[in-house]
Amino acid sequence: MAGKSGREISAVPEGGLKEKLLSWEGALILILVAVNILGVAISPVYNVTNVLREMPKYLAEAFMVFGMGYILVLGDIDISVGSIVCLSATMACFAGNAGLPFPVVVLVCVLTGLVCGMINGLIASKFTELPTMIITLGTQIIFRGIAEVSLGSGGSLSMKDTSGLSALGTKIGPFPISFFVLVIFAVIFITLLSKTTFGRRLYAIGSNQTAAKYAGINVQGSRFFAFSLLGFLSGVCAIFLLSTLFGANTTTGNGFEMEIIAMCVFGGIATTGGKGNLIGAFIAAFIIFCLRIALGQRNINTQIILVVIGLMLIVSVVIPAISSAVSAGRKKQGN
Amino acid sequence: MKKKNIWQTITGSREASLVAVLVVLLVVIEIMSPSFLAPANVSQIFRNNALTLLMALGMLCVMLTAGIDISITSTLAFAGMTIGMLQKYNIIHNTFLLFLIGSAIGVVCGLLNGLIIAKAKVSPIICTMGFMYIWRGMAYVVSGNAWASGADVAGFSDFGKDGSPGPYIILILAYVIFFVVMKWTRFGRKIYAVGSNPEAARISGINVDRTVISVYTIMGFLAGLAGVLSVSIYASAQPNMQYGKEMDVIAACVIGGVSMNGGRGSVAGTFLGALIIAIIAKALPLVGIDAIAQNLVKGIIILAVVILNVITQRAMDHQNLVRREM
Repeated sequence: MAGKSGREISAVPEGGLKEKLLSWEGALILILVAVNILGVAISPVYNVTNVLREMPKYLAEAFMVFGMGYILVLGDIDISVGSIVCLSATMACFAGNAGLPFPVVVLVCVLTGLVCGMINGLIASKFTELPTMIITLGTQIIFRGIAEVSLGSGGSLSMKDTSGLSALGTKIGPFPISFFVLVIFAVIFITLLSKTTFGRRLYAIGSNQTAAKYAGINVQGSRFFAFSLLGFLSGVCAIFLLSTLFGANTTTGNGFEMEIIAMCVFGGIATTGGKGNLIGAFIAAFIIFCLRIALGQRNINTQIILVVIGLMLIVSVVIPAISSAVSAGRKKQGN
Repeated sequence: MKKKNIWQTITGSREASLVAVLVVLLVVIEIMSPSFLAPANVSQIFRNNALTLLMALGMLCVMLTAGIDISITSTLAFAGMTIGMLQKYNIIHNTFLLFLIGSAIGVVCGLLNGLIIAKAKVSPIICTMGFMYIWRGMAYVVSGNAWASGADVAGFSDFGKDGSPGPYIILILAYVIFFVVMKWTRFGRKIYAVGSNPEAARISGINVDRTVISVYTIMGFLAGLAGVLSVSIYASAQPNMQYGKEMDVIAACVIGGVSMNGGRGSVAGTFLGALIIAIIAKALPLVGIDAIAQNLVKGIIILAVVILNVITQRAMDHQNLVRREM
């Protein structure tokens, strides 16, 4: 990769870089506010109560942002998460319908995700020559394939005993349970990435894997951990998704991988590794959720949202290039 | 130097080993289901996989420059939906014009990808992911919640209907042109040069940006063409057509030996890779495996192929090292 040599190493939290990141997160918060103003402007029913009512559908997806953030910071990518969600949800439905108590169902769901993630991580850390895109392309098809085979010709399965799932979907005050869990996870994973040695090491690996290896960092172990974590979080996503859908089918979680990557990139995490942070990705996730809810309430063709998300993504990645071109042009004029 | 024996040629060349795999596969399938190689069945395989076979050529070029394009099926849907709607509302019915319009849409989509990737240095997967959403959304916008049925595209679908030579002519033309261009022309070799070492290519006077832009434009053109072809073959246009199939195209290239790190891959390999996936998909029900397991088998094959590749590469490197020590 040509860009790799010219990139600044961001493992050291320098003032300049930090300022830049802060300004992007500031911009994201402004965008979030703008999206909410837009929502209020275009829809008479866009208010806190309604947004919170529709939020649980989307909140489940946000769990995976943390794991994907870790993986992107490492310079890897995982496109199998949608299939992991599908497989975990399927296994949970089988466990539930087999009469297992609800906590065991949750455990089955999360463990399925974890195992899938560990398989990704194992292949990625043992066969380092392979791009993770290819590995997870293979496992993406395999995991969904297993779900398809176990769901059989019907292609869908609903949970018979929904009491446990309904309990998981209840609200404490105006907020759904998943919101509180999400906030706790956010605090843990944001702190882990930005404030601990472990987190800074991930940045070091993403910036320059070889240098990180010779500096004594356990590169392959960290990659294995990141993939396993994302698998685990996909399992968590699956169980909260079940609490709103009460069943799984072969298309559950279709396209999640790209949505999650889009959120991370929109939040300022570079796919080349070593850059960005989870706070931005977390805010970006909520921007997309609010936008969806607002446009959905106006009955605007849901597919137009795709165009909007795509445009936001392109603009957010092109802006740095334009601004650097402009500043380079200024320098030239100065000389 | 010692002349290579047959075994070394087979294990050393990716294409030769793919042909070997294909032959073994065909023999096994033919034994279990003797009618598999009947002309009707073979032509059916090509017709059903025409879109993947066509787009794999563009993906080969993109992957040779160490890039990737996941927006192709969205471009396909946008182009296909547009020409479907043009016929539905009786604006244009001329087959040639429709092909021209669809391909032109593809070229514009591809050009945008190329410009942003080459000039703004955005990573290919992110840029094409953005456009994946945009063009898919545009396909829905163009459709206006409607779809073009067989009656709407009646005259046009004659080009790709069962038994018509149209799709085969396009496929053969595309493969012959790409084979020649990639092997013997300056442009083809430039793509390989840029993929193997962009820095060296730049220093030796190759305009890297222009090569990258043209590669994505070619990909867009083929995706647009595939969109038109898809409407013709399946005699309908829906905004969700071929959703998620870009991964099939990438998988075909990967099995065909195209490296994701750029610089390695060939037209023949891509063809064989796409063909192997197509044949396995078609043969599974014939050998008694449920069609539901199709994806599972496909995924396992992809992973097995890439992992085997790494293992043989390691063994070869190790052997070379041993030889040098002696």
